[in-house]
Amino acid sequence: MLEYRNLVKKFGERTILKGINLKINQGEIVFILGTSGTGKSVLLKNTVGLLKPDAGEIWIDGEEVAGFSEFEFLKIRKKCGMVFQHPALFDSLTIYENIAFGLRKHFSLSESEISSRVNRALKLVNIHDINDKRPAEISYGMQKRVSLARTVALEPKVLLFDEPTTGLDPVTTNAINELIKDLSRTLKTTSLVVSHDMPCALSIADRIVVFDQGQIVDQGTPQELLNSKVKLVQEFLAEAKEMLDHDSNVIRGTTS
Amino acid sequence: MKAIFFFFDDFGSSIIFLKDILKTMIFRPCSRRLVFEQIWQVTIQSLPTTAMAGFFVGAIMTVQFAMQVSEFGALPYLGGLATSGTIREIGPLLIAFMLSGKVGAYTSAELGTMRVTEQIDAIRCLGADPIQEIILPRFIGIIISSFFLLTIGLIMSVVGGVILGYFFSGINPEEYVRHIPTILAWPSLLSGLIKCLTFAVVLATICTYKGYFTTGGAKGVGRSVVSTAVTTMMSIVVADWGTSFVGEIIINMCKDYFL
Repeated sequence: MLEYRNLVKKFGERTILKGINLKINQGEIVFILGTSGTGKSVLLKNTVGLLKPDAGEIWIDGEEVAGFSEFEFLKIRKKCGMVFQHPALFDSLTIYENIAFGLRKHFSLSESEISSRVNRALKLVNIHDINDKRPAEISYGMQKRVSLARTVALEPKVLLFDEPTTGLDPVTTNAINELIKDLSRTLKTTSLVVSHDMPCALSIADRIVVFDQGQIVDQGTPQELLNSKVKLVQEFLAEAKEMLDHDSNVIRGTTS
Repeated sequence: MKAIFFFFDDFGSSIIFLKDILKTMIFRPCSRRLVFEQIWQVTIQSLPTTAMAGFFVGAIMTVQFAMQVSEFGALPYLGGLATSGTIREIGPLLIAFMLSGKVGAYTSAELGTMRVTEQIDAIRCLGADPIQEIILPRFIGIIISSFFLLTIGLIMSVVGGVILGYFFSGINPEEYVRHIPTILAWPSLLSGLIKCLTFAVVLATICTYKGYFTTGGAKGVGRSVVSTAVTTMMSIVVADWGTSFVGEIIINMCKDYFL
């Protein structure tokens, strides 16, 4: 469904992606973990043509897209929906108009079809009765959900998530993670999630890929990653264990 | 050396950006509703300050000219001289400075915020062209509003001139206005309009360019706003010299041709 072959991306003298080779199968949920600045988000932006790779190939649904023009990328962006780190909602538009925006630009739909797809998308992310509100009038967590609904409304085959839970409280983080899992299973989409959240990756990913310094240093199922000998993976696991221990201590009341 | 390289790099990039805007304007025009929204927003935002500044510029010009022309007994021509000076030079320059302080900084901050919060990337992912969707309406809006504001500023400058002329030099308002068409010839009018258009294009290009290519989060937005303010002010002054210089050559050529 989605494949990167020897993908290289440079910013000036700095090489951010150093020959990435990765294949993601249809319907798979793949988490990309890694420290900040290792090129995880750059990989997603290359996938939808927001950035151009310096070398290598990107295959989406049997098409090599790395050399595509901005116009040619329009059809790829229908297939690959991206949920950004920020909600990236348009302040001047209502929630309804925000979700309808992509539908109006990508497809020729009647107003009733747009309305039904907007409402369906909002229902999928468990949001009701905010159609006429503006982004500034709803919470950050809700904005993230609306952002997800805006992408899901396009019914893409591939969903790309760029740190979907950054800046959210634990409750909303869990809700968003559950949504990612449910949406991927319900809509049968392929999901590529960039995250720092190891516990979440272990619980919902089919496969976890670990990035370091623009390279893949390890990958495998959550079970395989638990036995990894790679230092960075062990650090991530240790931190995840610490977080889980802390949470259970809080629940037991032994830690403030 | 690095600063010179950066200057030319920035200058070249803004020219390429202007080319993209003009290309979009011709081949993929934006919705009229978005343009009208921008015209309304820019005009309303700057109307009170422009009107007030126009009033005082007319008043200042009248006071300054009154001192000179009264020595030659040419006070009745005060209205024509002050208005001609305002429309040729001070009016367009004033409107451009006002717009650069208010609309330029606002547009740059707005677009910069859209860039750092990934709204511009989202527009692309949702199948739209950001130049067509957000840049072009602002670009056209700023240019058209400049002419509205110039007109209002000039009307207010005449009002200011009439009032100050009456109280400062004792000129009858009717006398003040009567000689405006005598002195205000088409070259002055044309010069004012060309300057207004040039300054508006310079301002609209710089503020949209600086905002659109913002990087580096909140600090980056701040940098873009400051850079927009400084660059537009300097560019407008340079463009003023350029249009005066080129305008003078064209007017002399026309005079030679017609006479």
